[in-house]
Amino acid sequence: MELMFWWLIPPALLLAAVALWRAFRPDPQANARRRPVANADRLTALPEYQAALRRHRRWLAVAALAAGTLLVSAVAAAARPAELTTVRPEQRNRDIMLCLDSSGSMSSADSAVVEVFGMLAKEFDGERIGLTIFDSSAMQAFPLTDDYEYVQEQLKAAKAAFDGDPGSAGFLDGTWSGRGSSLIGDGLASCVNAFPDSGGAGATTTSETDGTGGAGAATQRSRSVVLATDNYLSGDPIFTLEQAGALAQERGVRVYALNPGDFDYGPGPGQPGARLRATAEASGGAYYPLDTPDAVADIVRRVQSTEAAAMQGAPRTVVSDLPDVPLTVALLSGLVLAGASWRLRP
Amino acid sequence: MASLLQRVKSKMAIFAHRKARGMLDGEYGSVFRGRSLDFDDLRAYVPGDEVRDIDWKASARHGSPLVKRYVAVRRQTVLLVTDTGRNMAAESRDGEPKKDIAVMALGVAGYLAQRHGDVVGLVCGDGHGTRTIPAKAGEAHLERILREIDSAITLDSGPSRIEAQLEHVARTVKGRFLLFVVADELAAGPDLEQLLRRLRAQHEILWFTVRDADLAGEDSAMRDAFSVADSAALPGHLAASPAITEAYAKAAGERDAGRQAMFRRTGITEGHVTGSSTVMTELFALLERHRRAG
Repeated sequence: MELMFWWLIPPALLLAAVALWRAFRPDPQANARRRPVANADRLTALPEYQAALRRHRRWLAVAALAAGTLLVSAVAAAARPAELTTVRPEQRNRDIMLCLDSSGSMSSADSAVVEVFGMLAKEFDGERIGLTIFDSSAMQAFPLTDDYEYVQEQLKAAKAAFDGDPGSAGFLDGTWSGRGSSLIGDGLASCVNAFPDSGGAGATTTSETDGTGGAGAATQRSRSVVLATDNYLSGDPIFTLEQAGALAQERGVRVYALNPGDFDYGPGPGQPGARLRATAEASGGAYYPLDTPDAVADIVRRVQSTEAAAMQGAPRTVVSDLPDVPLTVALLSGLVLAGASWRLRP
Repeated sequence: MASLLQRVKSKMAIFAHRKARGMLDGEYGSVFRGRSLDFDDLRAYVPGDEVRDIDWKASARHGSPLVKRYVAVRRQTVLLVTDTGRNMAAESRDGEPKKDIAVMALGVAGYLAQRHGDVVGLVCGDGHGTRTIPAKAGEAHLERILREIDSAITLDSGPSRIEAQLEHVARTVKGRFLLFVVADELAAGPDLEQLLRRLRAQHEILWFTVRDADLAGEDSAMRDAFSVADSAALPGHLAASPAITEAYAKAAGERDAGRQAMFRRTGITEGHVTGSSTVMTELFALLERHRRAG
């Protein structure tokens, strides 16, 4: 709480002091305007008169108090009390693509990931989220969108499919049309491609839905891929993992890899887990080996907070005026003063 | 400054146009009972003379009423007693300063006495002290008395306390005088009554009350008042409220009734006046009342 125009207060105090001095200065001429009367006890001894005088004095006191309060609160309001706060605005212009390996070994981890994002989506405000599932071929379940109702609905369906609920397997249709299984590089490349093309700036800005507007807004959105895979490749992908990683790097997409099956033999760089880690970290993301699907929630939150920290804007000083209290007091005391003046009118 | 006595005389002249000039003298002469038995001469009756003073045989011979005149055993002394405290500088009921009314009333009384051949003295003062002017005859002396009163009464004078002057008279004056007291609306009290009783035992007393300004009622809202006693302001609009006006009227009535009852009990004749225009008629009425009472 600070006063923006604090220098108003000394002159106001000075004026108030001068006014008080003038008001309370004994006026030798005061009785010249009045008529002299003798034996005033004829009137002043009357209990009725004493009661009326007491009432009069009480109203005078009320009026004086209200006038003082009005003055003080008006000066306080004029001095412009304001709250100065330093905020680090958290930017909510992130794009998150869930990139889930739908091979059978991954279903429990996938289920955990969609569940967590289903919960997170409730708190989203401006973020866009998309879901791509891949096995031998990648299939976009839904593109980047901020229609959170739709997102939740789709994530629910995805969770049902990953949990193997009866009648829900159709959700994964279209992920086996390629040759092989778990073509991770292709899947990651599809996910990276699912982001609006930042190269041709003109085309992408038109699809902006976050309301920030402006041609350069698209480039300012952070992009991340949550990639859940065990990186056990069987087949011949068009993109290798490294190529897809390079594509992600080129597009400015951070890859957060979750690996539920980190069974590397030794620290060699050729191991699947190590390769995944290298790809993720090369893109600026991170790699999280996953012991149990329950840890997904923690990891996702960590990813979220890293992202949030990375995207925080510069600290800004926010001045919020707080005139409500002094102005309310001024209004009330003004009303009281008006009432008392009406009561005191001769 | 024009002569104060001149003003009094012109007032009396106006009055004399309406009533017989000698009437006042007759009324004044009748104030004193216990006259000497030494016959002096006869003169024509003037209204106001005591009927028992008419010499019926001489009147029968003369054809018109004649009154016996007696040689006064000694000259009467009229002692003017008044309050010169700041109460008398306040407004009277008619709005003029009470001082003017007091000077007028004392001047008329003194002039009547002086014409009657009596000597006139003065006892005046306020709560701080009492001054006296010894009784003498002559218009110049009367003028001096009136000027003394006129100059003594200001708003800066001491607080009023007529009891102090009355006590001074009771303490210092020997012999039987005519006391002509001019004061304002006193409140009756046992101490004052005791003092008056004491004075009445020695002197003949005429009391002339100058009515104070009304403190409540419609008119009081026009102008605020202040009490000359302590300079406290009296907000006029408070006093103008109907409840207070009613209570004030009741209290004022009781106060007047109490004072009148006190004067009646002590055997003092009281007259009261609201403005200088009615001084003559009220004084005449006072003398008339006193004669009837005697």
